[in-house]
Amino acid sequence: MAELLQYLITGLAVGMVYALIGLCFVLIWKSSGVANLALGQLVLLSSWFTYSMLVQAKLPLWLGFMAVILFALALGWIIERVVLRPLIAQPILSLITVTLGLGYFIEGVVSFIWPWSVAALPRLFPKEPIHIGPTVVSQEHLWVAGISLLIFGLLSLFFRYHKMGIAMRATADDQLAVQACGIPVTTIFSRSWMFACVLAAVGGVLVSSIGGITFGLVETGLKAFSVVILGGLNSFGGALIAGPIIGLAENLGGGYLTPYLWGGIKDIIPFIIIIIVVIIRPYGLFGEERIERI
Amino acid sequence: MGLPCGTRNFKYDTDMAILRTRTHWALFILLLAFVFTLPLYLPNRWIGVANLIGITLVAATGLNILIGYCGQLSIGHAGFIAVGAYTSAILTNALGGEWFMLALPASGIMAGLVGLIFGIPSVRVKGFYLAITTIAGQFIIIWVINHWGITGGFVGIKVPYATIGDLIFRTQASQFYLIMGIAALSTFFATNLARTRVGRAFVAVRDNDLAAEVMGVNLFSYKLLAFFIGCFFAGIAGSLLAHWIGFMNAEHFTLTESILYVGMIIIGGLGTTIGPIFGVIFIRLLDQGLLFLTPAIEGAIPALPSGFATGIAPMLFGLTIILFLILEPRGIAHRWVLFKAAYRLWPFSY
Repeated sequence: MAELLQYLITGLAVGMVYALIGLCFVLIWKSSGVANLALGQLVLLSSWFTYSMLVQAKLPLWLGFMAVILFALALGWIIERVVLRPLIAQPILSLITVTLGLGYFIEGVVSFIWPWSVAALPRLFPKEPIHIGPTVVSQEHLWVAGISLLIFGLLSLFFRYHKMGIAMRATADDQLAVQACGIPVTTIFSRSWMFACVLAAVGGVLVSSIGGITFGLVETGLKAFSVVILGGLNSFGGALIAGPIIGLAENLGGGYLTPYLWGGIKDIIPFIIIIIVVIIRPYGLFGEERIERI
Repeated sequence: MGLPCGTRNFKYDTDMAILRTRTHWALFILLLAFVFTLPLYLPNRWIGVANLIGITLVAATGLNILIGYCGQLSIGHAGFIAVGAYTSAILTNALGGEWFMLALPASGIMAGLVGLIFGIPSVRVKGFYLAITTIAGQFIIIWVINHWGITGGFVGIKVPYATIGDLIFRTQASQFYLIMGIAALSTFFATNLARTRVGRAFVAVRDNDLAAEVMGVNLFSYKLLAFFIGCFFAGIAGSLLAHWIGFMNAEHFTLTESILYVGMIIIGGLGTTIGPIFGVIFIRLLDQGLLFLTPAIEGAIPALPSGFATGIAPMLFGLTIILFLILEPRGIAHRWVLFKAAYRLWPFSY
């Protein structure tokens, strides 16, 4: 029983982080229709940058985080301006593969600048575990889940009430109509990349403050795709619900299936979920079903 | 534009022929003679590089059929190569190297069947969904390989030399003929596949799958057929790779390798037969060039960070993929066509 609760809470918390990273995908997909496969690499890069700011440059926490956010904004702007702007209106195949190339490039940059391949961020959250009944829950996971929820709330408010957020939703809906209304579509694209990179940075800091910075973060980014696939590619709420589901499936499955199957099943479960979802319900739980016409 | 001035067709089979003029034939035979005498004047190390190029070419040709002709984006190609490599490794370990002639097609068929499993979603989804499905497929395949007992797990598995009759492919030079022979055959097959009913159906599916379906192309069978053929080639390449290296573990089949394969056919030119050849040679020679240049650059500029050696290769590869997509999405193959046209029209460029 204690074991079960443990898995449940860890799963929910990890799932929230997946959801946060998945959100960064949804943001870009919704506004510009680009499938960003470099998600994991963006997370990795911003985690290493945080490491540089906090550990190598020894900045105080608040200044360090300001620097990280600024860095993420700049990164998003540069990526959109240099890599994706020239490819507007190209076939989806090019848009997907260009992010693959981008991810490859970023991986190279990371091992170029930070060749250690493993590092730990300073502790951001208190470490003492909390006892809830018979279970021991690490406080870090709860903090992470809380922060992710907070960001979700802020984002949904932004998309509901802020002018920019409304413009982004409109762009996702119909680019031509938006242009006719006088909304600069390229600015929207650029902003959504900037926001997405900030999300990736926050997600990266949260994940790596618990698990350290490794190349495994790239895989974390890939696992976040199971969240978007399950939740639906263009649904924020879907990501919010699918994240914890994936986290739970991963932790419960890892906990209870490992004795019966080969080890390491935990890392594969999100990928198995992807395949099942794509076969059964490709547009996800809350995604919009695309009806194609010739 | 594709032919010299004054070439006329009087019969359907001259119209269909790939090699039309005597110059074509002469150049083609010269090229074949050049390629197949390479081991005579290349040092052993470079024969090895040529072997790697040949193996990669077989796999890239398969991927080109899948992505370039049929438009089904697969980013799990290294996983399918792994299936072929391990099938061949396990079969020849159990039966002996003389059974290579059986193991080679078996590994192709095995990879093709696994490809079918991960190709099934392609019937309902495309684009990004398919990309993610194949990435998931890659991870699942590698996980199975790492944990299933008969594959040797994380440790790896030793592979005997390929043997046909009395011939044991032990040296780089002898393997060169095996690999290049198969590479030439697969290029020949791919060239002709594109001109058949199946190839044209693939192109129709790529350009607009709904319209193709309305025209009477059975999407289910043609998409799955594309997956089977593409992964069959991957399996053949995997088998060759296993016998060439002589030792297999899952380290050879990472996701980055899969991305590199996609990069190769983009750089070469999607949907052309000559594209994969250019792309594979470009990437593999770039790799070799880096291998030579990196120590020299590091020696000349001591101020470089220590991550230079490991970081420069992915940076360059990623950059090449991005630049090609932005500046020349039709790849080197298109430049090649332009070059041929320019040289035919020279000195009057109109």
